[in-house]
Amino acid sequence: MQLQYFLLVAAALFCIGIFGLVTSRNVIRVLMSIELLLNAVNLNLMAFSNFLDAQAIKGQVFTVFVITVAAAEAAVGLAIVLAIYRNRDTVDMEQFNLLKW
Amino acid sequence: MVHFLTQTIWLVPCYALIGAILTIPWSPGIIRRTGPRPAGYVNLFMTLLAFLHSVFALTAIWNQPSQQLSIPWLTVANLNISFPVEISSVTIAAMVLVTGMNLLAQIYAVGYMEMDWGWARFYALLALFECGMCALALCDSLFFSYVILEILTLGTYLLVGLWFSQPLVVTGARDAFLTKRVGDLLLLMGVIALFSLAGTWNYSELAEWASTANVDSRVITLVSLALIAGPMGKCAQFPLHLWLDEAMEGPVPSTILRNSVVVATGAWVLIKLQPVLALSPVALWALVLIGAVTAVGASTIAIAQIDIKRALSYSVSAYMGLVFIAVGTQQDETALLLVLTHAVAMGLLVMTTGGIIWNNITQDLTKLGGLWSRRPISGLAFIVGTLGLIAFPPFGSFWALLKLTDALWSTQPWLVGVVLVVNALTAFSLTRVFGLIFGGQSQQMTVRSPEALWLMVLPMTVLLGFTLNLPLVLQSLSLLPDWAILNKDVAMLLTWSSIFGCSFGSVVYLGGTTWSKPIRTIWKPLQDLLAYDFYTAKIYRFSIVFAVDVASKIIAWLDRYIVDGAVNLVGLATVFSGQSLRYNVSGQSQFYMLTIVIALTVLLGLLTTL
Repeated sequence: MQLQYFLLVAAALFCIGIFGLVTSRNVIRVLMSIELLLNAVNLNLMAFSNFLDAQAIKGQVFTVFVITVAAAEAAVGLAIVLAIYRNRDTVDMEQFNLLKW
Repeated sequence: MVHFLTQTIWLVPCYALIGAILTIPWSPGIIRRTGPRPAGYVNLFMTLLAFLHSVFALTAIWNQPSQQLSIPWLTVANLNISFPVEISSVTIAAMVLVTGMNLLAQIYAVGYMEMDWGWARFYALLALFECGMCALALCDSLFFSYVILEILTLGTYLLVGLWFSQPLVVTGARDAFLTKRVGDLLLLMGVIALFSLAGTWNYSELAEWASTANVDSRVITLVSLALIAGPMGKCAQFPLHLWLDEAMEGPVPSTILRNSVVVATGAWVLIKLQPVLALSPVALWALVLIGAVTAVGASTIAIAQIDIKRALSYSVSAYMGLVFIAVGTQQDETALLLVLTHAVAMGLLVMTTGGIIWNNITQDLTKLGGLWSRRPISGLAFIVGTLGLIAFPPFGSFWALLKLTDALWSTQPWLVGVVLVVNALTAFSLTRVFGLIFGGQSQQMTVRSPEALWLMVLPMTVLLGFTLNLPLVLQSLSLLPDWAILNKDVAMLLTWSSIFGCSFGSVVYLGGTTWSKPIRTIWKPLQDLLAYDFYTAKIYRFSIVFAVDVASKIIAWLDRYIVDGAVNLVGLATVFSGQSLRYNVSGQSQFYMLTIVIALTVLLGLLTTL
């Protein structure tokens, strides 16, 4: 087991998250993609703290914070989605293009 | 006293200029109540003053050596321009001629302009001309001659355009200005080029320089040709002659001046430049050629005109052509003599015809006739003017032409032929004008034709007297060529050519009903060609005017669309790019995220590869 594999998996997960973030039409799926991104980041943090900082494991502390902040962010995100849904009656990302040129 | 008069001769142009300024208050817009007549009287007084001054100065300077005065004008770096004044018998005699003719023309104008309100403008311009011509006669510098010629060109524009509400006047004034301006501009090129060669503009110093000059023949040829071009336009020589024809739209009193004196300003400069022109045989040859072509061409055109004033104006071109021939064959004195005799005789002819026009209204020769019994003074004046102009002994021009042909006889005999032909043609043309005005039956326009006002007859008769006395004056001043050494054959030929022209004209136009009037030549196109002045207006329009017109249109188009377009294109491109690039702001947050990701990827890629 080596650090690189963890990093590659995390990068792959990040890219999948980006792909989902850019291509999804459903707002909920966009939020889910963001969660994927955050998890990829957590994976990185955990891998680094394991392989490079096994004594102080600061990365794990960071991960805990990221998870809490991600939870809070998802809550706010869902609230925003709900607020938009109440007004526009849809969660299609392509319907939310009012602020253009 | 005598010394004082010659030393203050430079005041003579100033008198006229003061007169010109003093007339301005009588413009209809300033003094509204009392009419314009005092403008004329003030000017007459100033001209009389100038005339008397020059006459007394002439008697004082006669047989005295010439004196030079120099008035500094501008000193900049290495260039000193001063206004040199030459006080000699020739220059003062020229001023006497100018002021004398102007005096007569102004008296004439008091009568002629009776029914006109524009005296202030008219007399101010006449005075401007008098001032300019006197200054030209006095000044001994090519540079200031050029300055004065340009001012007189502007004066011509304003004077021809006096009655500017008539459309033909406007076009005539335009052509007179532009044609003379072209010649003047070429003259300016010559003037400037000559300074770098000779280092001076003083005629006397130029003559000295020319006597020992050693310059490239091609350079001096080009300079001389440019120097000829100015007088060519001024003297209405081919091909810059159309303006004089169109300048006949101006009032008659100014025509007196123009025909007799103003066109001679170019000849005056030419005569003064003769030593420089003599450096280049090509220039002399060109002078002779221009003069000969103009003399023959214009005198044939004069025959085919039906407008009195135009019939005379082409004779002016023809006689200026003879002056060109005289200068081209290096006969300065003959040229000056010819200018003098021509001015007097032509002034008389124009005064006569002006009187006819004044109360017969029409200028059309085919509508005049049968005035001899009712207008004897005008008729006699016309006859004397004719005899004074053509080579008819013992009148003035005979001696000038005799001197000219006598010198040409041994060197260039073909030019003698030209002079004889021109003389015969002019004699014929003037006899024709006489016959059509004074001979034949009265026509509708001439049924009632009283002699003109005394104000118009008086200057006419005074000039008539002077024309008659001119040979005596010349003899007493010993200006006539010596009869003993002259070629008698030439004198006979000249006389016979005049007699031939006059008698042929009399037979055709005074000889009863043998020739049906109006006369048609055998070949109609030839008559039209001459009557329409070789279609010069059309030639101008299809050559130089067309070229300049097309070129200016092309340049205007280039400026409008290419130059302006290039700058506008920058603005348009900016507007267009702004308009099109704004679609980047798509309103899709996912698109923004994609942009961020792509930008970061590219940035990181760049950072890692570098």
